[in-house]
Amino acid sequence: MAARLKRGETTAIESLYDRYGRLAYGLAFRILNERGAAEDVVQDAFVSVWRNAAGFDASRGSLRNWLFSIVRNRAIDRLRGSTRIRSEIDLADAEPRAQVPDAWEAVALDLERKQIQEGFGELPDPQRRTLELAYFGGYTHVEIASRMHVPLGTVKSRMRIGLEKMRTFLTARGVMA
Amino acid sequence: MTAMSCAEAEDLLGAYALEALPEDEMHRVEEHLRTCAEHRAIAGELRRTTLMLPLTVEDGDPSPDLRTRIVEAVKATPAQPAAPRARGTTVAPRRQISRLSTWAARSSRFAVAAVVALALGIGGLIGYQLGHAGQTQVTYAFLGDATAAPGAEARLVYFKDRKQAVVAATGLPRLTSGQVYEMWLIKDGVPVDKGISSSPTGDIGAPLSGDLSQFQQFAITIEPGEQQLPTTKPILVGNLQAG
Ligand SMILES: [Zn+2]
Repeated sequence: MAARLKRGETTAIESLYDRYGRLAYGLAFRILNERGAAEDVVQDAFVSVWRNAAGFDASRGSLRNWLFSIVRNRAIDRLRGSTRIRSEIDLADAEPRAQVPDAWEAVALDLERKQIQEGFGELPDPQRRTLELAYFGGYTHVEIASRMHVPLGTVKSRMRIGLEKMRTFLTARGVMA
Repeated sequence: MTAMSCAEAEDLLGAYALEALPEDEMHRVEEHLRTCAEHRAIAGELRRTTLMLPLTVEDGDPSPDLRTRIVEAVKATPAQPAAPRARGTTVAPRRQISRLSTWAARSSRFAVAAVVALALGIGGLIGYQLGHAGQTQVTYAFLGDATAAPGAEARLVYFKDRKQAVVAATGLPRLTSGQVYEMWLIKDGVPVDKGISSSPTGDIGAPLSGDLSQFQQFAITIEPGEQQLPTTKPILVGNLQAG
């Protein structure tokens, strides 16, 4: 799919939408809680993927993660009414990712989602809530500390430990390398 | 603004990965990561974990015309040529599935397939295939996943008239206690269990029944016992429709 996209085949966007459109919309709606705004964000994100596909490098990350990051970031910017400056440091070298045929990606997506949901569900409430406020709410650590009425240090360690637990869970199940 | 210490960076990496730092603090962490390989590696792992979070969300139900609007917007938008920022835009070579051309040369490595084939009464057909472009059978070659099963190979010979195939794989990662290799045929994205093997040697020779023209992919996973659906990523997977 990525190769078709890079060649500028518009049907690749249709395939991408058919696979991830509902999830992308689910993500945008989770953040914005408003249908029209969520659809705008999803549309912008797909067009952005299309426009920048030539620069996409599959060895540095998956098309799926790229798409969802765009959806998430645009939705957060819209929610917070400003364009946030984001880190551009290249961490992709930490992301070895096997290339698998598109059809397997579809199969794998369902399996991965179940496991990711399970791993997330197993986090203690305060850790999960902290990750949610950061990722789906776009709040900074300081804002989260004040919302949750806990010291900043607690928020920072909940973030770190929550992510570490997710990672351990997903690595044990082969979802993450 | 003093340089950030490792201890300070350590404390902020979770928030950094979640993009939950105010801008100035984020830039200070970035500064640290440029020179500290250890924390760069940890930040990368945390960041990759963060990228899993969208998948905790359930599918939404966008209006049906969203797809149309996107397709129209895309058709009206020229795709940009690769920007200079894109380092090495070559897509990593996919594990290509090539039609087998060197069966004879490698047949000794796949002797196990011949044994299975003989047991099925189709040994003669393999011999036939050595000398002829198969009319009634087709052979596919697969390579193991570069990370999970480097060096693994498999051959799948499909006897069209019998609707039967033989799989021979070699060099698979060794199993640990309780694990099995599970073979799958994939039809329209849905894997169908095609049996297991618990070979201790990393070699498999097994028959595979079914009309392969119905399936688009073949895969092998390592599972904790036979599963109805795969629970892990394939160590070897490839297309059946190559030719
Ligand atoms: Zn450091």
